[in-house]
Amino acid sequence: MNVSISLPMPARHGRIDLSRPIFVVLVLALGLLVVLPLFWLAYYSLLDQNGQFTLANFSALVTDPTLRRPFLTALGMALGVGVLSCVIATPLAWLVARSDLPGRTAIRALVTASFVTPPFLGAIAWEILAAPNSGLINVAYRSLLGLEPYEYLVDIYTFEGLVFAIACYTFPYVFTLVVNALERVPSDLEDASSMLGGRLSTTLRRVTIPLVLPAILAGTMIAILQALTMFGSPAILALPAGFHVITTKIWSLFQYPPKPGLAAAAALPLLIVTIMLLWGQARILGRRGYTTLGGKSSDPRIAKLGRWRWLAIAFVVSVLLLTVLLPYAALLKTALTRTVAEPLTWSSFTLHHVNFVFFEFSATKLALRNTFLLGFLTATIGTAIALVIAYLVTRRSVPGSQLLGYLATAPVAIPGIVLGVGLFLSYSNPSLMLYGTLWILLIAFLTIEMPAGYQQLSSAFKSVHPELEEASRILGGTRMTTLRLITAPLLRSNVVATWCFVFIGTIRELSATILLTTAETKLVSVIIYDLNESGDLGAISVLGIMLLVISFAVVIIANRLPVLGGQRLPAAR
Amino acid sequence: MSYVELTRLSKKYGTFAAVNDVNLAIAKGLLVCLLGPSGCGKTTTLRLIAGFVEPSEGEIRVGGRTISSPGRSEPPERRNMSMIFQSYALWPHMTVFENVAYGLRLRKLPREEIARRVESILDVAKLKPLADRYPGELSGGQQQRVSLARALVVEPETLLLDEPLSNLDANLREEMRFEIRRLHDQYRYTTVYVTHDQSEAMTTADLIVVMNQGRIEQAGSPEDIYKRPRSEFVAKFIGGANVLKGERLPGDAVDVGGVVLRCGSGDFAAQGPTSVAIRHHDINLATTAPALGETNWVPGTVTRQVYLGSHRDYLVTLSNGEAIRTVTPADIAVPQGQPVWLHLPPEHCRALAH
Repeated sequence: MNVSISLPMPARHGRIDLSRPIFVVLVLALGLLVVLPLFWLAYYSLLDQNGQFTLANFSALVTDPTLRRPFLTALGMALGVGVLSCVIATPLAWLVARSDLPGRTAIRALVTASFVTPPFLGAIAWEILAAPNSGLINVAYRSLLGLEPYEYLVDIYTFEGLVFAIACYTFPYVFTLVVNALERVPSDLEDASSMLGGRLSTTLRRVTIPLVLPAILAGTMIAILQALTMFGSPAILALPAGFHVITTKIWSLFQYPPKPGLAAAAALPLLIVTIMLLWGQARILGRRGYTTLGGKSSDPRIAKLGRWRWLAIAFVVSVLLLTVLLPYAALLKTALTRTVAEPLTWSSFTLHHVNFVFFEFSATKLALRNTFLLGFLTATIGTAIALVIAYLVTRRSVPGSQLLGYLATAPVAIPGIVLGVGLFLSYSNPSLMLYGTLWILLIAFLTIEMPAGYQQLSSAFKSVHPELEEASRILGGTRMTTLRLITAPLLRSNVVATWCFVFIGTIRELSATILLTTAETKLVSVIIYDLNESGDLGAISVLGIMLLVISFAVVIIANRLPVLGGQRLPAAR
Repeated sequence: MSYVELTRLSKKYGTFAAVNDVNLAIAKGLLVCLLGPSGCGKTTTLRLIAGFVEPSEGEIRVGGRTISSPGRSEPPERRNMSMIFQSYALWPHMTVFENVAYGLRLRKLPREEIARRVESILDVAKLKPLADRYPGELSGGQQQRVSLARALVVEPETLLLDEPLSNLDANLREEMRFEIRRLHDQYRYTTVYVTHDQSEAMTTADLIVVMNQGRIEQAGSPEDIYKRPRSEFVAKFIGGANVLKGERLPGDAVDVGGVVLRCGSGDFAAQGPTSVAIRHHDINLATTAPALGETNWVPGTVTRQVYLGSHRDYLVTLSNGEAIRTVTPADIAVPQGQPVWLHLPPEHCRALAH
């Protein structure tokens, strides 16, 4: 019998391999996004007001106490936040992962939900709760004990208050890492300790805690990093208290008269500290291997709390009350009553703030339009770019493709406010005037969100076996056909998840935005900040709740719509 | 006339040569097995033929046309080949029917024609009732057959198989070996089959190519490879053999550590080191000393003896310390420590120059 060659070869199209030109364009584009702001940052930091070379900006960082003190304050605050987050999150994580505490799933869901809360909104909520005069807690305290109007129980406008308010937002980072680590510790490692006579507390102290220590440390470092680079919460709580941290100081250097050189010089140490923290975290997690090695993946051991049960419940309830429930309740109440101090009753209920925000306040409509336009564009463009990069890098289809991976990950080390300074300096010169347009904000958001988007999609690509693509190639599919018919459908749900992630991240960004926004390019987050300056907490609450509702709605819709990837695919083999 | 030709083919990663100067000519319609241990370069050779990897040196011609050479390689989709992957690589988001129809759709065949061809191949592969299932709902053997059907439906000129049976259980594997051979005999496409399992190669191949460290050790028919190994590696890898290192003596004799063995076949080095290979089951074991003047007898001591049901497996240590494995019928039981004599018949002793 002979070989039959009756079938035609696949149609000849897409013959030109586009991966190389795409690679070059992406390297240039990402290089521009990452390198250009840093270059101008370094350049301006070495210039004086007249454009002459100088080191005065850097010496001012050391000699000028108004610059030096914010640095030290910020470091102290960040360390405080790190310790507090660790102290709250570690016991909570153990209780959720390893004890017979009731309602563990609900606790985990609530803590994860607080991830979605923008930190500046949390700070405002605590302003509503614990401002010395009008704070709801202090009002209740005074009326309960019949005290004078100047007496108060708690004051959020202090260093301690700031540390507390930020920790409310950062402790979920530690919690998530530690819970995952605790669940990965193979229970036979602990069984081995019990077999040798170790009691529950001994096993916990000698085996379990050391095994999850890297996760605790890494989480704490993320908390420190978040606190150090955060703008919103310090601006809301520290400025009324009369002190600066480094991010607010950099922002104030842009107020009239602007001192861009000094701001650039002040931003560089922040960049260096960030890189060092990330490096330290990577080193710690790099050694984590031993928590996953060895032992079978059996169910984790659940400890019986016994008489400690009530203490544990009290702890969990107070943590959730302080970090999640009270702030949300305060926002909701403020949104629906005319003044902050009024209790929410049928008679005090009002839609005044809702009406004001959506119909009277002229800035809202523009800000809403800008915010959602930018959120949509950033999510769409960012996901598309991250998708192509992840494909080129994981499939190594172009020599040197690793470079793209590094470029896409690099912005993770650039704090928002530093990027804001760099972008302002890059795009506010006469030859390239993007300042005052939405473009500069789009560039900022694309840069900020690129690392997260790239990480998510590249791990998605790694989960698609290359042979699935090769099978299509050998049967006659070009690279583009294969991407369209095989890879894209398999990645659909990951792409949707990344899109949502970027969208939510974008609509709540404040650190870089605050330096790049103008009257024409206001965003919802900036409006919230502005309204806080004027003390309009009711309107803020309405806007904040709206941001939260939209964030949750996006997540839920994306998970439900079958077109968008909600449909369950049979597991890929 | 050869159809697929690999000429001086090499693939280097830095200084490491995954495939090193491979020359191979495969006649049209032949089933060739690339056989070797993991890391021997067999899979890289297959991927070079498929076009997933570009050669560093040398070229690949199919039907006289050069399809791979350094810097100029036809992409996989232009080669009119099909491939069956170790993981089967069935697309989880497509049904069995859609998986199989994929290649035909890319060839822009009319809808009815696609349906007709897919149905007929599903029939051949006994998959017709499963056409609307997703791969995740199939057993391993069924997935394997879908992967075969998907590769065959496009009527490729060349079929490539990358360890296709390694994920199946033993019974199914045996059945699929014959299935692959049957389909090959029916359609006569040129087939390159990669495996590390010698019995798989023995049962399916027209030509076995034994590879080691990126090079071809030996190429020949299954009988050729088994009966006439040309190197120590091939002798040991295929079927298992004792290899005794020695020195060439005049004539057909080799001195292996004080014992002279006459060899019935093989390649003798002109002088110097020559090894002798003999299969385990070709050695006779005796408990009494042979008559004086008999050749190819060596004395030794039983150091291990295992009962395996159908036979017994012995390890005998010679006086020079060398250990030889041999088998006897199950009812011959010689206890450990007892002196024995081994007869290595000259017609089964094969001299190896390398």
